[in-house]
Amino acid sequence: MNTVLWIIFLPIIIFIIGTFMLGYSRKFIARIERRYGPPIQQVFYDIFKLMNKKTNISHGWMHDIAILMLLGGTLLTLYFIPVPGFHFFAQYGDMLVIMYILLIPALGMALGVGETANPNGSIGISRALMMLAGYDIPFFLTFIGMAMLNQTTSMYELINIQQAGGFFGWGLITNPLLGVAALIALQGMLGEKPFEVMVAPHEIATGPMTEMGGKYLGIMMIQHAIAVVVELTIYINLFLGGALNWFEYIIKLFVLFTVLLSVNAVFGRFRTDDAVRFMWKIPLPMAVIGVLFIIF
Amino acid sequence: MEEKLTQRSVWEKISNKLSKRSLWMLHYCTGCGAIELPPTMTARFDMERFGISPMVTPRQADILLITGYLSVKTLKRVVLTYEQMQAPKYVVGFGSCTINGGMYWNSYSTMKCLDQYIPVETYIAGCMPRPEAIIASFNDLIAKIDRGEANSWKDYYKNYDFYKANQDRTFEGPIETYNDIKADAAMFNIK
Repeated sequence: MNTVLWIIFLPIIIFIIGTFMLGYSRKFIARIERRYGPPIQQVFYDIFKLMNKKTNISHGWMHDIAILMLLGGTLLTLYFIPVPGFHFFAQYGDMLVIMYILLIPALGMALGVGETANPNGSIGISRALMMLAGYDIPFFLTFIGMAMLNQTTSMYELINIQQAGGFFGWGLITNPLLGVAALIALQGMLGEKPFEVMVAPHEIATGPMTEMGGKYLGIMMIQHAIAVVVELTIYINLFLGGALNWFEYIIKLFVLFTVLLSVNAVFGRFRTDDAVRFMWKIPLPMAVIGVLFIIF
Repeated sequence: MEEKLTQRSVWEKISNKLSKRSLWMLHYCTGCGAIELPPTMTARFDMERFGISPMVTPRQADILLITGYLSVKTLKRVVLTYEQMQAPKYVVGFGSCTINGGMYWNSYSTMKCLDQYIPVETYIAGCMPRPEAIIASFNDLIAKIDRGEANSWKDYYKNYDFYKANQDRTFEGPIETYNDIKADAAMFNIK
């Protein structure tokens, strides 16, 4: 019974946290630019307005289905990640499953945008898949490294092991090379500023979102709000010792997000080739050396 | 008839209240006046505190801000852009050129009244209007949405023949617009 309630309400709770985090990011960046900034609940207004549009142009049935695949893939990832109080699916699916299903949203987006036949969208998708090759290899290497270090592929077990060691049991402390490599990869995964090539409003008109309007963009924004929390949660569970209660969890989410936003606020944008080259020059060797340290 | 237009259900009142807090703006700046927009967006005047932020594609935008004069050639692009936007959509005419031609009254190639071709929600008079005027007009637009009176976009679906005739006269023949406005109005039940 408890599990059923969690299954129903977890996406809603995570969505609310995610929208507040996105609102917080807009406010934070506005204050760095010495602006007043929008209210923190601004993303709620945006999503409400988009879902309330009177006309919604569809470009074909694949466009409709792929948007749902995008949202569904993210929700599926959410269920397999242990959060405080809920790890029902985490005992059936370990980090290897998460590695696979993290790729579903990107695939869904590629299919949907392909249907819209907008050249800006196609460029955005090719950049997104290129960046995927950049950040996914170091990120998954850190998955493998942490699994080898702790002799478990279950994320829930990993949290327990880290919590047992206290602050000095955190993955970031026991294995700083992997922790920092994953942090840089996480920046690329979230599409924050130095690795923002996928969206790039001034170059390719927001890339994949070019042809999305009304409810389609609304669902993409809901997905983005959930995906931000999901990706930060993976990092927290692997390297920041997870969380035992929701208070600690939300504090860790906001602190980690603030670190990433501070980098986002002061950087420009890498070109696609530069971004991938950076990912393969700095985080990838770090992750490889970190894994080698664990083996030998 | 007038009363019927202003009568709103509770849901419409709530949705107007919330929707007015988020307006995304597409700026069409082939005339002059684009220089007034950066101060409006950045630290000095900061329109994002009203929830208005610049967007880059017509599909995502709610406001179409048209700065300065439009020649026959650029008007064609404005019509194409306007038809791609998703309703509810609001056109804001910026500067005296969109109102009556302004200093280009005698020009052979510019058009004079923007609202002959697409329905305009608000005008900003002046040559040039300062960022304060832009912010003031956006606040007017927000108040208008709150009262449920910002319905000019419905006019394009209802009186399409009028706008189409004016466009065809200016362009000397029909243009290919990719959008069947009357079929859209029937499909999305706009009346």
